[in-house]
Amino acid sequence: MKRMDWVVDFISRKGFRKGWTVFIVAFFLFFVVLPTLYVVTYAFTDWSAIETAVLSNPETLSTIVDSVVISFEIAAIVTVIDFLAGLPIAWILVRKEFRGKEFLDTLIDMPLAVPTAALGFSAAVFWVMNPDPVPFSLSVISSPFLLIILLHIVFSYPYMVRSLAAILEEIDDTYEVAGRTLGASRLTAARTITLPLFRAGLATGVILCFSRSMSETGGTMIALSTMANLGIGEAANFFTGSTLIGEWRSLVETDPTYAPSLAFVSILLIALALILLIILKLVIMKFHLPLRKVWPMQEKMLSRGIFPKMKDGGALLFLALIVLIPSFFIFTYVLFSDPASLDMGALSYALGYSFLVAGVVTVIDIALGIPFALHITKHRDRASSNVLDVLVNVPLIVPTAALGYSLFLFWGSIGTGGASFVVLILAHVAFTYPLVVRNVAGAVEEIDPSFEETARTLGARPIQSFHRVLYPLIKSSILAGAIMAFTRSLGETGATQAVLGRNALTAPVYIVSLVKADELYQAGLACIILIIVSYIFMLLLRYLTKKRKEAI
Amino acid sequence: MPEVELVNIAKRFGKVTASADINLKVADGEYVTILGPSGCGKTTLIRMIAGLIEPSEGKVFIAGKDMTGVPIEERDIGYVFQNIALFPHLTALGNVSFGPIVKDMPEEEVKAVPQRYLEMVKLLDRMGMFPDELSGGEQQKVSLARALASGAKLLLLDEPLSALDARVRMDLRYELRRITKDLGLTVIHVTHDQEEAMTVSDRIVLMRNGRIVESNTPEALYLSPQNLFTANFIGETNLLEGVVKEVLPDRSLVELRDGTVVEAKPSKFRRGDAVVLSIRPERVHPANEGLGSVIIKITYMGTYIRITVESDSEDTMLFDVSTSEDRVYSVGDRVNLIWSKRSGILYPRPPEGVEEAIKLE
Repeated sequence: MKRMDWVVDFISRKGFRKGWTVFIVAFFLFFVVLPTLYVVTYAFTDWSAIETAVLSNPETLSTIVDSVVISFEIAAIVTVIDFLAGLPIAWILVRKEFRGKEFLDTLIDMPLAVPTAALGFSAAVFWVMNPDPVPFSLSVISSPFLLIILLHIVFSYPYMVRSLAAILEEIDDTYEVAGRTLGASRLTAARTITLPLFRAGLATGVILCFSRSMSETGGTMIALSTMANLGIGEAANFFTGSTLIGEWRSLVETDPTYAPSLAFVSILLIALALILLIILKLVIMKFHLPLRKVWPMQEKMLSRGIFPKMKDGGALLFLALIVLIPSFFIFTYVLFSDPASLDMGALSYALGYSFLVAGVVTVIDIALGIPFALHITKHRDRASSNVLDVLVNVPLIVPTAALGYSLFLFWGSIGTGGASFVVLILAHVAFTYPLVVRNVAGAVEEIDPSFEETARTLGARPIQSFHRVLYPLIKSSILAGAIMAFTRSLGETGATQAVLGRNALTAPVYIVSLVKADELYQAGLACIILIIVSYIFMLLLRYLTKKRKEAI
Repeated sequence: MPEVELVNIAKRFGKVTASADINLKVADGEYVTILGPSGCGKTTLIRMIAGLIEPSEGKVFIAGKDMTGVPIEERDIGYVFQNIALFPHLTALGNVSFGPIVKDMPEEEVKAVPQRYLEMVKLLDRMGMFPDELSGGEQQKVSLARALASGAKLLLLDEPLSALDARVRMDLRYELRRITKDLGLTVIHVTHDQEEAMTVSDRIVLMRNGRIVESNTPEALYLSPQNLFTANFIGETNLLEGVVKEVLPDRSLVELRDGTVVEAKPSKFRRGDAVVLSIRPERVHPANEGLGSVIIKITYMGTYIRITVESDSEDTMLFDVSTSEDRVYSVGDRVNLIWSKRSGILYPRPPEGVEEAIKLE
């Protein structure tokens, strides 16, 4: 006990705390923000290379512009659909009580447990038109554009529902009831009272979905390769901004002339994503829903009878058909395919490597992300904190493939090119760190500071009041952040490939290589193993944190 | 027109019974307060009238119409919430205009009606402000104007004053009564504050454990409560346990535990019945003879001094003396207490004990 006291004394000292804060902020700036944006310097140092390789080469330029435009179109369509289909579900989850609600609640998150590489494969075999369709598959889609929209909906939809539900939870339903006692029908009350209070949640949901769709690489690549293998050749030449980076990143290993084009498309995606973030924030905060205008009779009619049931039924059907079935269709696929032998040695090596990376990354995120979140929430009054708060979002919205290439350039230029494991960890930390910070900062902001102040007046040191008062209150948010960071790292393909090129040994990259080699059965089986292992791991994590709670 | 009638209402949440056997009529234009300790089911009751929850049994009639299955927005009620619930994204005027807009009133009324009611609550000059720029009292006034502007003739007030400061609460009580009486509205007001109920109502309905205990005018409830719980909950009272010694045409005689015989109103009890005598502190006076007791506490209340004594009959009693009185009291002094026989009321001694019978839950 004596030694513990000494530790508590030491870390409670003013000098130590100041040093710690500086370290935390410096880590964030030098290991997260700077590497993320480093590729932009390429535009200044090697502009002439970009000029010759890209700007004076119409073919390359049009490939880049096409892919970036496609990325934006897909992200915009996906976000709108997510919102329209997600709002009724969020509403049901927050405002309705029914049996099986918890079940529905977990169903929403299921696609997040599936690595995107597996999702891409699963969705492709479910949707893509196939002369020899897998039993129970729809087999209707022949356009790569539509396929990618359907795929991106699967993994962005849970983010939208979660963001909308979180903000809906915050909005006191007395407002709506008050509106109804004044004579507004359900629909009128929801539209004129609750929706305008919604903007912040809407902004978060839109930004998350949009950036997720923009940056997704692995699942998209796998879906397109699968489609090409199923006989739709057009898919092989269909690129989104992120998959283009992935493709060129693998070519640059043998042909360095791709480097300027690669840098250019990365810079373009980063710049556009940042601009878009700012525009979206402004538009959503300024945008006024048509509030004064009401249509009492029409809205009253739509508020009762068959219409609400149709809306809820439609939303649930969407959840089942568009989100859940394609996510898990892979099980059906493997069941009905001819077995082939899978190289278990290579797969288990890749799985082990992926879990090791995800684990180390999550530990770093938690150790350095929680203090950072506390720092930005405790000093809201300082301008510097607000700047840091905005900067945290940057790695979230920058397409991970571009981010990965940027990290490769940054760490490569510093000269750690050989230590691939360390670079890979740093890359994954860069895009998972904001997930932990956002979750924790959000939770801390909800908690009345007087709890901690009370603890301090009772004689607790800052570290003790955190451990005994704040930590138990925000534990579930820390867990949520950790799970998000872990699964995100586990499923990431684009950044991994961009950092390490073909040498990457993680499970999603291994699956991509199987699909590319047309070993579809083996790819399917590998996906299932990945799904099961990550699901067990998540259950275990939940179980362990629950146990700890009971022990305290 | 909007009289309210509740017939055999009961509400159960799972195994918990929130209300049972509720039968109540509220006349057109009447101001009725539903009073009771927290958890007595009064809020559940008003929420059933508004249609926020449906009763498990029984029916609600408003203006003679059965309200079963009628949604909130078609009951034509004004509801004022304890937490005020002004729409935070709308100004005071925007809030008050909400009812007229969604009810599709003609354009000139949408303009005129909200201003009329804001003027009635004396907040016309604040109409451009957002709720967070107004004080608590002002917010609740806007919320009242909002309920009135929707054209409701039945006003339901759900603990409307309990979130406000003591002083604001007092002022708003009188405003509430003045405005609703001017407009001739039917009002059902829920509160746990008996002083509030006394000052605003035509009639008080007292509830306990999900049931109606007693319903009468404030004066009748205070002066001649029919029930031991009522006597204790409305105002303050001393409760003395004893046995009836004799009942005469003009008084009852009760023998307390130490053998002292005291007087009360005439009653229907018979010699030997176990009773509880209720006597309000302001009716008890010190004298040269009477019930002997020892002072155990003296509290200065401003306009009067509250004295707590332990009587020889082992009852704890309160009485008040004026601050202008010459005699000086101190703890440990002996005093004798008397009261007029007309102010003592007898109740049968409850089998579960007095403590249990007056418990607030």
